[in-house]
Amino acid sequence: MWREKFQRVLNAGWNNFRRNSYVSIGTTGVMTLVLLVFLGLVAVNFLASTIVVSLEEKVDVSAYFKSDATEDEILKVQSDLRGLAVVKSVEYVSQDEALADFKERHAGDALIQESLAELDDNPLQASLNIKARQAGQYGAIVEFLEGNALRTFIDKINYYENEKVISRIHSISGAIQNWGFLATLVLAAIAVLVTFNTIRLTIYSQKQEIEIMRLVGGSNWHIRAPYLVEGALYGSFAALIALVVFYPLVFVAAPKMETLMPGLAMGSYFIGHLPAFTLLIWGAGIVLGIVSSIVAIRKFLHI
Amino acid sequence: MIEYKNVSTIYDDDFVALDNISLEIKDGEFVSIVGPAGAGKSTLLRLLTRELTPDKGNVVVDGVDLAGISGNAIPLLRRKIGTVFQDFKLLTSKNSFENVAFALEVCGANLRQVNEDVPKVLSIVGLTEKTNSFPHQMSGGEKQRLAIARALIHRPRIMLADEPTGNLDLVNSYDVLRLLMKINELGTTVIMVTHNRDLVNAVGRRVISMEKGKITRDQMQGKYVI
Repeated sequence: MWREKFQRVLNAGWNNFRRNSYVSIGTTGVMTLVLLVFLGLVAVNFLASTIVVSLEEKVDVSAYFKSDATEDEILKVQSDLRGLAVVKSVEYVSQDEALADFKERHAGDALIQESLAELDDNPLQASLNIKARQAGQYGAIVEFLEGNALRTFIDKINYYENEKVISRIHSISGAIQNWGFLATLVLAAIAVLVTFNTIRLTIYSQKQEIEIMRLVGGSNWHIRAPYLVEGALYGSFAALIALVVFYPLVFVAAPKMETLMPGLAMGSYFIGHLPAFTLLIWGAGIVLGIVSSIVAIRKFLHI
Repeated sequence: MIEYKNVSTIYDDDFVALDNISLEIKDGEFVSIVGPAGAGKSTLLRLLTRELTPDKGNVVVDGVDLAGISGNAIPLLRRKIGTVFQDFKLLTSKNSFENVAFALEVCGANLRQVNEDVPKVLSIVGLTEKTNSFPHQMSGGEKQRLAIARALIHRPRIMLADEPTGNLDLVNSYDVLRLLMKINELGTTVIMVTHNRDLVNAVGRRVISMEKGKITRDQMQGKYVI
């Protein structure tokens, strides 16, 4: 019994979709565009977050100690820093390690090697290389160092050199997310409006049938449900088309992106998440379609 | 039992369609409502199907105040009430069987019920031979009988006929009237709004005359008088 009723409603919704074929194609097209922009935004977010993570890994704060600072004093500062929740790691580089590292990096440069040999003392400073858990936390770490009891032993803190890079990464990734989100919202609103108008047209063209349904006592569900099905169908077809268009584009773009940014793995990311993206886009399409139908029904379908 | 208790209905443009109407219609009555255009006759019927709610007063059917019923209960009310209109309101893309079946399907009837009930009702209105005909292949009288068949399919306790013979010639008008009287004899309350003097006089039953939203005359065995 329920299956028969459900089947009847599905058929009625499908007939609405099929009978207004040109309008249906237009509506599905607009909704497809919205879903494609949404998928594009997911891709841009993925790229931005990969870039941000890789750049953030390269950013740290180094505190360089004066030559009169003892190792115990430096280790005390290191231990204080480790006590901070925002600090991910603190690496101590002694004067000797810094020199060894310097020599190794300039092993092929005879002039530097000779210059170093001429010097009586090690000119390099001991340092603490500090990594924060998040890029926005470096300011707090610098503040801590500035206020530390052993501040007088610290010669310089290089955060100020990195500050611009860090804040720029943050502002770029924030802007991408905000503008992308806004663009998706605007397009979603347009899609809702277009679908709403399509459903309104269907309701208008079936004015007589609806009136008869009402006067013979058709249940509210039976009168309204076909329009919900129609909206869901627009969303479903749009999701299908969006995925069919988007995935080949990813396959084409992924190798080129990986050449530009080694280790990006864009292709495998989207393939690995195919079931999740299918559900997400399908769900988003159905929600858009049904919301539009509900708005149109509430406004134009009085029972 | 249908009761209108001090009912007033005022449309948006301040037009007073019904002005403090009080009226009782007992089960099984055949009532003709007559009056000039704009007298409030159709408004009286639309209150019964809850297409409208009164601005003042109450409309009560079988002890239930219609203003108090929920949106979900309105379809159930309408299944108790069959409605027939001057312009038939048939679906042109459906044949006779489908037009009647549609009324059952939208109320959730299953296929077996549809196949059993629709031929019976078409036979009552004398349209068995027109089962597969589309409205454009039928005469005005046949279309109205088909509309009556559709109204009958839920076995309503009340039948509302709003100018049912307005588009019909004399012969077909009497056919439709006879059908309504037959339905009334089977126990259904019939309320007919009409301008057709001969028809009202031929029925010889209760006649309510209306003018400017008020009842001007209510006679148990009345004639068409304005």
